[in-house]
Amino acid sequence: MTKQEFLGALARARTDEVVITSMGVVRPWGRLSDSVLDFASADSAMGHTADLALGVAMAQPLRRVVCLNGDGSMLMSLGTLVTIIESGVDNLILFVIANKTYEITGNQRVPGARAVDFEGLARAAGFASAHHFDQASAYESALEDILRDEGPTFVSVAVAPESEGPISRSASEPARYLQTSLYDGSRRFREALTDKGVV
Amino acid sequence: MRTRQGPSARTLVDELVKQKVSNVVGIPDNSSAALFRVLEADSKIEVLTVTREGEAFAVASGLWLGGRAPVVLIQNTGLLESGDSLRGTAVRMGIPLLCLVTYRGYAKLPSQESDEIMTRADVDSVAVVTEPTLDAWRVPYELYRSDADIGRVQQAFHQASELARPVALLLTEALC
Repeated sequence: MTKQEFLGALARARTDEVVITSMGVVRPWGRLSDSVLDFASADSAMGHTADLALGVAMAQPLRRVVCLNGDGSMLMSLGTLVTIIESGVDNLILFVIANKTYEITGNQRVPGARAVDFEGLARAAGFASAHHFDQASAYESALEDILRDEGPTFVSVAVAPESEGPISRSASEPARYLQTSLYDGSRRFREALTDKGVV
Repeated sequence: MRTRQGPSARTLVDELVKQKVSNVVGIPDNSSAALFRVLEADSKIEVLTVTREGEAFAVASGLWLGGRAPVVLIQNTGLLESGDSLRGTAVRMGIPLLCLVTYRGYAKLPSQESDEIMTRADVDSVAVVTEPTLDAWRVPYELYRSDADIGRVQQAFHQASELARPVALLLTEALC
């Protein structure tokens, strides 16, 4: 599956979910979506997107929170799979986009690229709902249920590596959520999440 | 013979409740064990134990983004582990986050610097680097030694809010 097939289907199926992106999908998602409920975990802490998304999901139990994590990023904080289960959240959908490379830094191979079974890791951590897709058609068919069913839900998606370059936060970025600093983007996102009274 | 008494965990938790803390995220140690016990018995504050301290800062930052008022509770060893997470989430995002950090090795801190300070058997090296590390990370801090320091909690929240950044209270004694 291509990254565009993965993200395009998600953009079409998405309704009012919060979407938190990291690394190689930050910019491509920003080309497809311009929602105030999008948050770019960019210019931030390596490997800490899934746990950041967990905090948002805990704070906003009435919203569905979609986290788009990379395989390299997930490997940096595998314990978060356990913490998600420990937290008891039922509104988090954690995608791991497995392209088997550190795409942002030049597609170096991630450790365990040939062997790691992310779906198996998630099940072993306690996820009752865990999936793996490598075909776009199967993924797209299951997506609506994945977004609606009770979570937490884990989905690994095998995508072909591409060549997304380093991400900046500047006016030259095409995605609006990358045109502000992380400081300002955080306040904008918090306002969007809390002004509607769903706390 | 009187035994040395540390600060009261109940007093500190009562102050956290008064400051409207919603969540505590962290990992317990010997010094904070009593604090976790009181917190877990207190339904007003939700407690989440994480697998590594760096996670605590990311989870707490997400909680703040979602409108909550979290506190991180870890040991100073875990603070060192948390470097990039703290920098890249709470500091970079400008989150007014109180970090309660138990200060392992504080009692044995030598008064004088020496070339061997990091390898001496009678010195806990984590204590040697705790305050310099917070200084380097631009995280303001105060010591919390006894119940008489309870006012420092409110001051720390005020400072974190004014500066829009994390502020640490270093708990030098085991709570009881």
